[in-house]
Amino acid sequence: MTDVRVLIVDDQEPFRLAMAAVVEETAGFVVVGMATTGEESLTAAAALLPDLVLMDVNLPGIDGVEATRRLTSAADAPVVFLLSTYDEDEFDAAGSGAAAYVAKAALGPDRLSEAWSTAS
Amino acid sequence: MAVRVVFADDSFLVREGVAGLLTETPEVELVATATNPVELHAAVEAHRPDAVLTDIRMPPTFTTEGIDAAKRIRAEFPETGVLVLSQYIEEQYAFDLLSEGVAGLGYLLKERVSQVDELVGALEAVARGGSSLDPKVVEGLMARKTSQESSPLLGLTERELEVLAELAAGRSNAATASALFMSDRAVEKHISSVFQKLDLTQESDVNRRVMAVLVFLEATGGAGNRPQPGG
Repeated sequence: MTDVRVLIVDDQEPFRLAMAAVVEETAGFVVVGMATTGEESLTAAAALLPDLVLMDVNLPGIDGVEATRRLTSAADAPVVFLLSTYDEDEFDAAGSGAAAYVAKAALGPDRLSEAWSTAS
Repeated sequence: MAVRVVFADDSFLVREGVAGLLTETPEVELVATATNPVELHAAVEAHRPDAVLTDIRMPPTFTTEGIDAAKRIRAEFPETGVLVLSQYIEEQYAFDLLSEGVAGLGYLLKERVSQVDELVGALEAVARGGSSLDPKVVEGLMARKTSQESSPLLGLTERELEVLAELAAGRSNAATASALFMSDRAVEKHISSVFQKLDLTQESDVNRRVMAVLVFLEATGGAGNRPQPGG
């Protein structure tokens, strides 16, 4: 089975690195790229064709929700998980096209695998 | 001089992310990170930081560990300020944290941690013995204080409140007397005083009982100190 190819989108480097560490710790997942803005995520996704995008909600320029809407409206769209510091029952990802919302505090290898199994 | 900080959070992503942000910030020197209250206490003892930044919900019960740790650290290491991080606006937690004074204590919502200026400002404030409260938390505490100040139950004595709580549990005067180790007459006297204080003097007795219970339930959020039936 080939690895799930992941694009990480967060404007803050420490969070990008921490997310990358979580992805690399998760069996069957590999980081293929990182982006720092919503706009950059669209370009990166078109170039890298990831299977999964981990998208921060709060981004400069177009925010994570809008970037997700644009990403998932394309043919062969990647699966997108929105991430933020809000609690999971406080955030409504409906309408964005995101397959899941994951609180940053909850993101670990188990939660990532579980959300991927549910989404795919 | 940079504020020396120990940071505790059980979530890998938040710990690494926030630690990374703090490391990049010249105003802060991150001296240690911890994943639970035991590690946090050990790190504070070893490093004697200017400030501690701690999540509220941590192992083992994921409830108020951070609040308990904050109080303990403030008591044992008065030179160390503590800023607690909370996922939600939890007024009860904030109230518990600040009930014995606000010096050297702060309460910040997690959604603010990526706004580094706010985070650093709050850490600097608690480090110098001041306090820092998230504006949303202040609003919540003010609303709580106002509702307490305007509570119709405020004028009641402790004994009258106990009697009213028994009524709210559906007890008769006799059962209330027995539960509170009072005479029937004393219960009647307290009930009559409650009616008067709640301005229920013109209604029939049954209505007054119901109205008094409704006032009690509304003021205590439906549960209050209501005893359990049979308890």
